[in-house]
Amino acid sequence: MMKLLSLLVLALMLGGCETVAPWERGTLAKPEMQWQTDTMEARLKGQLYNSKEAASGGGGAAGGGCGCN
Amino acid sequence: MSGDKKESNSTLLALTSSALLLPAYQAANAEAPPEFTEVGLRYSNYEEDDTASSKTFGGSSERMEVDVAQFHLLAPVADDWSVALDVSWEDMSGASPWFVGESAEGDSKVVMSGASIEDTRTEVSVTTRYYYDRGSAGFNYSRSDEDDYESDAVAVDASYDSDDGMSTYSASLSASADEIEPTQGVTPTGTLKDEKDIRSAWVGVSRIVSKRAILRFGLSYTYRDGFLTDPYKLNDERPDRRNEWVIQGGYRQFLVTPNAALHVDYRYFNDDWGIDAHTVDIAWHQNVGGRTAIIPFLRYHTQDEADFFANSVDFSERYYADDYRLSAYGAVSLGLKLRHDIGNWRLNLAAERYQSNNEWGIYGGEESPALVDFWRTSIGLDYRFR
Repeated sequence: MMKLLSLLVLALMLGGCETVAPWERGTLAKPEMQWQTDTMEARLKGQLYNSKEAASGGGGAAGGGCGCN
Repeated sequence: MSGDKKESNSTLLALTSSALLLPAYQAANAEAPPEFTEVGLRYSNYEEDDTASSKTFGGSSERMEVDVAQFHLLAPVADDWSVALDVSWEDMSGASPWFVGESAEGDSKVVMSGASIEDTRTEVSVTTRYYYDRGSAGFNYSRSDEDDYESDAVAVDASYDSDDGMSTYSASLSASADEIEPTQGVTPTGTLKDEKDIRSAWVGVSRIVSKRAILRFGLSYTYRDGFLTDPYKLNDERPDRRNEWVIQGGYRQFLVTPNAALHVDYRYFNDDWGIDAHTVDIAWHQNVGGRTAIIPFLRYHTQDEADFFANSVDFSERYYADDYRLSAYGAVSLGLKLRHDIGNWRLNLAAERYQSNNEWGIYGGEESPALVDFWRTSIGLDYRFR
């Protein structure tokens, strides 16, 4: 299933895109279209979820750990 | 970066400025330094629900409460550099699950640590970033310091745009050295001092799909080596190595008529402890007028149990743990954020409810009596010097 999902995502990324000129990217430049719109919120949520769940990571290489209770 | 190129990419400035706020190891699409210095302060409260009396020995029990203060600074330096500073202070108190036992009726019940945990954590993270024609490169150093735990981590990252600017390729590497020296309470932990190391690598690509949509895909690998056992749990003996893999996808779609952006993120996690997990984040960024945004968000997480997890551990096994965090369950988090701009100031408010339940997961497994539910609230102010 994961292979299928990966292939689907790759197909979407490589083939399903229209060419968008730089001057047509104004909407993509809006703050609400960013991958993260609030650094402090993202840091806090990452710390909370990582300390309460078995899974972590995804948005980049992992940081250091904590002695979370 | 040439003057012409700067001009032609002017619409991307906002795109990049948000990415610049990320820690170095998360950056992508960072092509230009920030235009203004930004500072922010945030206060958050995290409070876990009491453990129900039906699931504990000795009646209901309070659990952890954490107060968090955060500071953020992002500033341009010269023409092609920026520096970011993030500091957080946490004050933790309360009780956490100590071990799980079996009642006379055969039910699994948790024994809490008692309201004995008092700890503070300070984390300082500094990121410097250099911007070149088609991307940027960053270096990050972070230090986390608790009464019983210290962590030093470094990370480097780089991004590079394709010729047509439709794709951005990113990669990052990180390493950390952690040291734990458990606080010895009434019942000693059995661990005086130990260490672990973390190494991690990530690659990602983001791709413009249309004038109003962008997609990204990422892969990461993390290797943990050393003392991975939780010394504060009575029945806990874990392998001293852990290999983790993550596949991650993200999608952003802007909708003109409601003047809103849809955020969808997905993560698949797998490790050699037997844990599989799926996490989906969905947020709706609704603009109201030009200065206000209302952002409801929904998160679903489900995970399988670790190979060595059991409520009634078998001490004859090499590894065992009754930690609820290694059990099978599903968790739903529902929240709302509000943002309002007044001149150069920005007010941020957020509230979130997190609940977990064994029956909400897609994986079968023993139900831990110590699953956690919590509330989180935040309030903060940002200021931009312009």
